[in-house]
Amino acid sequence: MHLAIESASKAFPGVQALDNVSLELRPGEIHALMGENGAGKSTLIKIITGLYRPDGGRLLVDGREVSFQSPRDAIAAGISAVHQERNLIPRFSVGENILLERLPTHRGLLDREAIHREARRYLDLLDRGIDTRAEVRTLSVAQMQIVEIAKALSLETKCLLMDEPTASITEHETVALFSLLRRLRDEGAAIVFVSHKLEEVFAIADRVTVLRDGRNAAIGEPMSAMTRQRLISLMVGREERIVERPQRTVETDVVLEASGINTAFGHRDISFALRRGEILGLYGLVGAGRSELARAIVGDIPVTGGALRLKGKAVRIRDMHEALDHHRIGYISEDRKQEGLILAHSIRENIAVTIWKRLAGMLGLIAPPAEARAVLPYVERLEIRTPSIEQTVGNLSGGNQQKVSVAKWLAANVEILIIDEPTVGIDIKTKAYLHELIHEIAEAGTSVLLISSDMPEMVALADRILVMHGKRLVGEVANGRRYETVSRAIMNRIHAVEEERPAAAE
Amino acid sequence: MTDDAIPTSAPRRPGLLGASAQFGLFAIVALLWLVFSTLAPGFTSPINLFSIGRSLAIDIVIGFSQMVVLATGGMNLAVGSIGVCAVMASGFLLQDLGLPIPLALAGALALGAALGWLNGVAIVRTGVNAFIITLASASLFLGAMLILTKAVPYNGLPPEIGAFGRMRIGGYVSPLLIIALAIGAALYVLYRHSALGRQILAAGANPRAAAMSGVPVDRVIVISHTLSGLLAATAGLMIVARLGAAMPSVGGEEWLLPSFLGPVLGGTLLAGGSVAVVGTIIGAALVTTIRSGLLVLQIGNFWLQLFLGLILLAAVMADRYRGIFVERRSMGRR
Repeated sequence: MHLAIESASKAFPGVQALDNVSLELRPGEIHALMGENGAGKSTLIKIITGLYRPDGGRLLVDGREVSFQSPRDAIAAGISAVHQERNLIPRFSVGENILLERLPTHRGLLDREAIHREARRYLDLLDRGIDTRAEVRTLSVAQMQIVEIAKALSLETKCLLMDEPTASITEHETVALFSLLRRLRDEGAAIVFVSHKLEEVFAIADRVTVLRDGRNAAIGEPMSAMTRQRLISLMVGREERIVERPQRTVETDVVLEASGINTAFGHRDISFALRRGEILGLYGLVGAGRSELARAIVGDIPVTGGALRLKGKAVRIRDMHEALDHHRIGYISEDRKQEGLILAHSIRENIAVTIWKRLAGMLGLIAPPAEARAVLPYVERLEIRTPSIEQTVGNLSGGNQQKVSVAKWLAANVEILIIDEPTVGIDIKTKAYLHELIHEIAEAGTSVLLISSDMPEMVALADRILVMHGKRLVGEVANGRRYETVSRAIMNRIHAVEEERPAAAE
Repeated sequence: MTDDAIPTSAPRRPGLLGASAQFGLFAIVALLWLVFSTLAPGFTSPINLFSIGRSLAIDIVIGFSQMVVLATGGMNLAVGSIGVCAVMASGFLLQDLGLPIPLALAGALALGAALGWLNGVAIVRTGVNAFIITLASASLFLGAMLILTKAVPYNGLPPEIGAFGRMRIGGYVSPLLIIALAIGAALYVLYRHSALGRQILAAGANPRAAAMSGVPVDRVIVISHTLSGLLAATAGLMIVARLGAAMPSVGGEEWLLPSFLGPVLGGTLLAGGSVAVVGTIIGAALVTTIRSGLLVLQIGNFWLQLFLGLILLAAVMADRYRGIFVERRSMGRR
């Protein structure tokens, strides 16, 4: 399929999201769509898939002008997409979600066997470990992402739009996805690929279109002629400075210590120590149970055995409220839309939520100027781009939303901060910024437990890296800041365990 | 970004739409006043204005008793039952036990708060939604009250009670209305300027995100239901003052419709996370105006039910529209 957007524009209240943007997609190519957060990539994809109506411009499919009224029209025209937002029904099975548009029937009734057989076919292309009968709500974020991709694949369209499909999946699954995308391309499919990871784009894309502030910075340039530095400067309008951080010396006093912890989620015998001002990495494949361990620490998942000590004192934390108020532990959730933010509320309220109790004076009343004064420094320090702190958070770009969910924990001034996938789906500039920030707060004495699937991020930030696999800690790797060595050491630990316990995958 | 680049005084969340909805509602109330006073000159007589004000006070407080739980994304179908329990409790304490008036009223209010607290605890402990729990407790509270009092009204209350209900300030203002507006002011401060109020709204908008931000969501829900019970009891006592007696026939299911009408018309989201105190007052004014207007025009009570039902439908549709609007505005956009 040949698809072309010519001078598309789209405005939202207060924001010109797209301004005369063009994109040409040829059959048999993988076309990267790049740009910082807020550059307009997702808006463009939503216009192509009929979710948004453009204010101006034309959409051409095989040379004929089309106008999609709904996503259904786009699918009928042979265009499918993986969006950034989750579009799965939590209480339906994986299989039903994948085949939702055209569930197989037998004599008018749903044919469950056929559903799972069909769904299996697409799912196996990416990940054999996900059960098609499991309810989607029981899956991890990464597994949901795999299901989203399988769902788009199952439509077998000639045009596939992928908005950050790799944002929350592991390297292993990314490799599987890439070989699949290459095969589809060789069969003549036209694929748009959005990612913030430059390595991925250079590995897979044939051409690239770059957006900056809602305008084209480049249209369909061949990747063969593109350099890393040039691509970055097209996106941000300046050269990237990669910060090489030296190894840090960390104080020795232990702030948080887990010894032999078991949890209701199934963690067994988890022991580790987090020191003052340390950035302790926690790496693992999908389903390893990293986020769930974090949740167990803040009391969201029951700890069923072992001991958790804070500065040597055994504690029992029942919920996040206790974690924050009594023990000064914060948790930046990986799922910012569901758990990190209240999208319908303002920036001010979202940041101040952790400090209302502290701001309240007589009779529990908060003076609005005091609240604004408490919030503003963080809005400025994190460079949250907004006309006002009264702006509804749902109106912000993904990167700015993430900054808000980080800001509220900075404001809370905690001693221990658990950070879960801080830069998923975040543009390079914001990512570098958040890295700098995490480094800063650790230098200032906050102990950080960093969960990330992004290996370069892990290597750039962590002082030590714990490796988790199958709900157990399987090793610890000292971070010598040498990417090759560290990443190989980590993967070796994981695969060594795989070989020791071959049946563990099921 | 500099300090000046981030104004802190931009429009509030309900924004233009919320404000314009309230203005529209106000315009409808004003129009009805014009119509009723033209058709029935007696509508604006001091005695009728006094009577409207007194009814309005009660409708406002009933609306508040629902609004405070709507804020958490829940509901309280037991407001009427709690109200009538407080009514009969005040009668019992005043007439049978002969307690001094302040003590008896405090006891009745405490009972209302306690029943609300029971609702809240049941909801939080069982995880069953507020609809089912309060549907059950509405019946339970009412049944228990009827058994205990044998549905016999208390007619021998101290005369001061009835005198307070008949009191007029400046010719046609009931002190009950002043109390209702004072409660409104307190609620406004609660949601706008207190840590607790903010936490209630956060828990209502997204309980999961609120909980993961350290908001004690369960506690906040229990507090909201306790407050709801207290307000329902307050409305009940206002009725006692109006009638000068404690009747078992007031409250109950009769409150249900007005309790939702005020807040929903006024712009409180059924989904939780947003309240409109002033809107609830104007919404209650609409209910009171229609009731009084039909009475003055001597149109039967049957028509009142029909009108209120129609208005609620319109209000729910408006709520749905607002919900979609909020959703659209909060869709991820890049």
